[in-house]
Amino acid sequence: MGYDMGKYILKRFGYMAVVLIVLSFLMFFVYSLIPYDRAVAEAEPFRKGLKVTENAAELYQAKVEELRRELGTDQNVIVRYLGWIGLGPINGKYNGILQGNLGYSYQYDRSAKEVLADPLKNTVFINIFATILGLGITIPLGIFCAVHRGSKRDTAIQVGTIVGYSIPGFIIAIVFIWLFAIILRWFPVSGMKTPGSNYTGLAELKDRLYYMSLPLIVMTFSSLGGMTRYVRASMSEALSLDCIRTARAKGLVEKTVIYSHAFRNALIPIITLVIGWFIGIFSGSIVIENIFSLNGVGRIYILSLNNKDFEVVLLLQMFYVILGLLGNLIVDIAYGLADPRVRVNK
Amino acid sequence: MSKETTSSRKGFAPFRWLRRMFFGASKELTVADERYDSPTRLAVKRFFRNPLATGAVIILAGMFLFVFIGSAISPADLTETGSEMLHTNMAPSLSLMKLPEEMKDGVVDISSRGTFTIGVDTDGKVFMWGQYVNISGDPAKDVMNIPEEVKNSKIVHVAAGSDHCVAISEEGVVYAWGENDNGQYGHDGTMIAAARKQPDELMNGGTIDASQVRQLICGNQVTAILMEDGTIYAWGNDGLAATNLSSIIKHGKKESKLEKLVFTNDGLYGIDANGTFVCGKSTKYNLISVTDENGRNVSTDIFEYIGERKVVDIAASGNALALVLDDGEIVVSGIKEPQPQLLEGENAVTVSGGTRHFVLTTDQGRVYAWGQSFRNQCDIPAALTREGAVDTVFASGFQNYAFKDGKFVDCWGLKGYIMGTDDMGRDVFNRIMNGGKMTMTVGAVAVIVSTIIGIIVGCISGYFGGAVDMFLMRLTEIVGAIPFLPFALCLSAIFQSSDIHENTRIVIIMLILGVLSWTGLARMVRGQILAEREKEFVTAARSMGVKERRIAFRHILPNIVSVILVTVTLDFASCMLTESSLSYLGFGVQLPRPTWGNMLNGSRNALVIQSFWWRWVFPALFLSIVVICINIIGDTLRDVLDPKSEVEK
Repeated sequence: MGYDMGKYILKRFGYMAVVLIVLSFLMFFVYSLIPYDRAVAEAEPFRKGLKVTENAAELYQAKVEELRRELGTDQNVIVRYLGWIGLGPINGKYNGILQGNLGYSYQYDRSAKEVLADPLKNTVFINIFATILGLGITIPLGIFCAVHRGSKRDTAIQVGTIVGYSIPGFIIAIVFIWLFAIILRWFPVSGMKTPGSNYTGLAELKDRLYYMSLPLIVMTFSSLGGMTRYVRASMSEALSLDCIRTARAKGLVEKTVIYSHAFRNALIPIITLVIGWFIGIFSGSIVIENIFSLNGVGRIYILSLNNKDFEVVLLLQMFYVILGLLGNLIVDIAYGLADPRVRVNK
Repeated sequence: MSKETTSSRKGFAPFRWLRRMFFGASKELTVADERYDSPTRLAVKRFFRNPLATGAVIILAGMFLFVFIGSAISPADLTETGSEMLHTNMAPSLSLMKLPEEMKDGVVDISSRGTFTIGVDTDGKVFMWGQYVNISGDPAKDVMNIPEEVKNSKIVHVAAGSDHCVAISEEGVVYAWGENDNGQYGHDGTMIAAARKQPDELMNGGTIDASQVRQLICGNQVTAILMEDGTIYAWGNDGLAATNLSSIIKHGKKESKLEKLVFTNDGLYGIDANGTFVCGKSTKYNLISVTDENGRNVSTDIFEYIGERKVVDIAASGNALALVLDDGEIVVSGIKEPQPQLLEGENAVTVSGGTRHFVLTTDQGRVYAWGQSFRNQCDIPAALTREGAVDTVFASGFQNYAFKDGKFVDCWGLKGYIMGTDDMGRDVFNRIMNGGKMTMTVGAVAVIVSTIIGIIVGCISGYFGGAVDMFLMRLTEIVGAIPFLPFALCLSAIFQSSDIHENTRIVIIMLILGVLSWTGLARMVRGQILAEREKEFVTAARSMGVKERRIAFRHILPNIVSVILVTVTLDFASCMLTESSLSYLGFGVQLPRPTWGNMLNGSRNALVIQSFWWRWVFPALFLSIVVICINIIGDTLRDVLDPKSEVEK
């Protein structure tokens, strides 16, 4: 198995690299379609400083051309792509992603890496919390439904989950803001920390959790429906296996049958779900972060789109792509590891 | 019918035979008429046996009809008439035209500018109806609370501004209530410095001779009292709501006393004792459009046009003036809609103005109305266009109340908004219908696009296999690896920044959604085809010499249609959700064009969520119900079309 698995992972990695290259070029190409010229924006102060003379227009044009050369935007898209990756020279220099230059945020006048560092922490923090919370609720609930399949309680939960996954996150967010922040006043409406506060240590964490709790609840709640259905489906499939019938025939306690025999079998699809869900939650949090004004990557993404800060957008887009591909890879490997019967590479 | 249902309860025929074989004969044997149903028919029967799914189908069909027929009957008005700044954030209600019963037998005056109406009857009792959006939240400033003194005295004159009311009692006491920030009354307003102050002699129990009051009128935040001797008392926000106020008063003092005054939204106009139109320093309505002898429209000066003729009556709407001349002609300025053609020998008696329209009554007792009719202001009931039907019409705000010999006859105009209005004064109900049409259309087109691509790619890949399959599957995986929401957002932003028509943009959004969401279906179709290919009936067909293409499309495809149907249904729901999310974030369909997503766009702050609940509850409710119904239908379809699920039970 070891040899097979190693070969398989290698193969997947190679394959992932190909997809990544294709997609990164696709992304870059799409961004090059944007009717926005950085050189013109950069030349704006220069134009304002120009005296009104005969050759002002020419001077301005020359400045724009020069800036274009400097930025490399006068080249064709393939040269620029290679430059962006770091495989080709722009103005004689190799300065791309491979060299550690992830782009520059013109909006914040800092490197894109610095701009994204803090938001990324926040996003990962909230997503991990939401994942843990979500799993803690959905796995027991899904198992309960599968065991009591067809009962009244199961039907009720099934209807509830359909409702749950049909309602978009932003509506859940509005309803929860109304309920918890306005009517009950348990949580703040939006924001990251108490304005003007200077907490440190434990108090800071407490304050942060207080502000994060409503987005967390919304994120967890909006994923309950789909997750529960998935767990229920895989669990009821596992319960109909022959080995379960055998276990029951042996006279095992029902609890052992369910939690030891059936759940292990149900675990395989659940693993893939957990990983896929963790990845998916990143793009899902775009909406939630924007509603609650959380300083996460999703919010930065929208802000950058609005501010035409395209290098940050491009970087984030690549981040989402890589996240997705990595997720797929991990799912495949996890499948292989968890279930010796699965050989995805055959 | 009943026979069918009883037999259908027993399940699929072969299962019945099996059951009989193993479990012995049951009551079903007594049913003489055993019929074999086609799988489709059986699936439909089983589908409708599920009450939840049946309910979902009925609700969804109702929604479809509501959205598509409703939007065909009343299309969204995206121009400026669609929004009404006087009607922003109004709560759902249909009470705007609810004339109190007591007023129907004897009415002195009815007055309104925006959302609420005040009236006084012949007994001197004051009534108010409609609603007021109290932004300050201070109950003391709620104009709908009639002060006790006003309730207890005999009132002879009333007038309503946009956020305040003024009344004069028989004893001549001037009462005012409502908002006072801009000096609508009293001297306590926060912005009083910029306003013209209420005369001291009219405040704190000061009185005027009520019998000498010729007119009490209110503009948006201003009030004017015209006395029989031509004296004008005026106060309020003259900087905004009556910029020419002082010049009119000056005219009254220096030149000729005024006979009648009217407020538009931003000025005061009148006629003086000489029958001259008085406009003070405002020249806003001095140009009128008339038809010359060649039938062309030309602009001409209003004073030149009137010439030696006298003005006998004047009426104002929010942004227009109507003058009645002594020869019966009506001169209108500031309004595009043509004035009505009177019958031969018929003359206008009175003209009165609402906020966006005019109403005139004639000496033959007929009523005519013209101006903006988006809120039904000009939809006169047919009975009132008959001769002698009406002698008085109170056109106030957006409503009209017709009286004959002091008795109420009929009313028409804006009843209210059944689902309230949004921050631009747009009718939420109308936008729900039109937004639903947009959301459903975008979802449907996106699903059609993705289904077509998915089926083609899946079929080709599954049926041909080999290198084609390899290539298409890699393509599918690449497209599938694109993070959906971020990429759709970014594409939409790109098309947003390029200068293209809104319709093109919407088509592009549909295509983006379609092109990004076909991968799941393609994989599934491929898998199904691979499974079906190996089945005996394909081998049989092949051995009988049926052509490959015929096998693919006539033998295999029908077998996987049911699976495709389920996926398409569920995809439709998810496409609608994605469109809503995009529009909610401001990257989908742009305002003022409504969709259920962008209607929620304005509901991000606590004030809207708390105070203007109708702005988010209704779109959210409609979107959720439709998506829930579609998902229930898709789910039930899957159960019904999949024979395995039946066996399990």
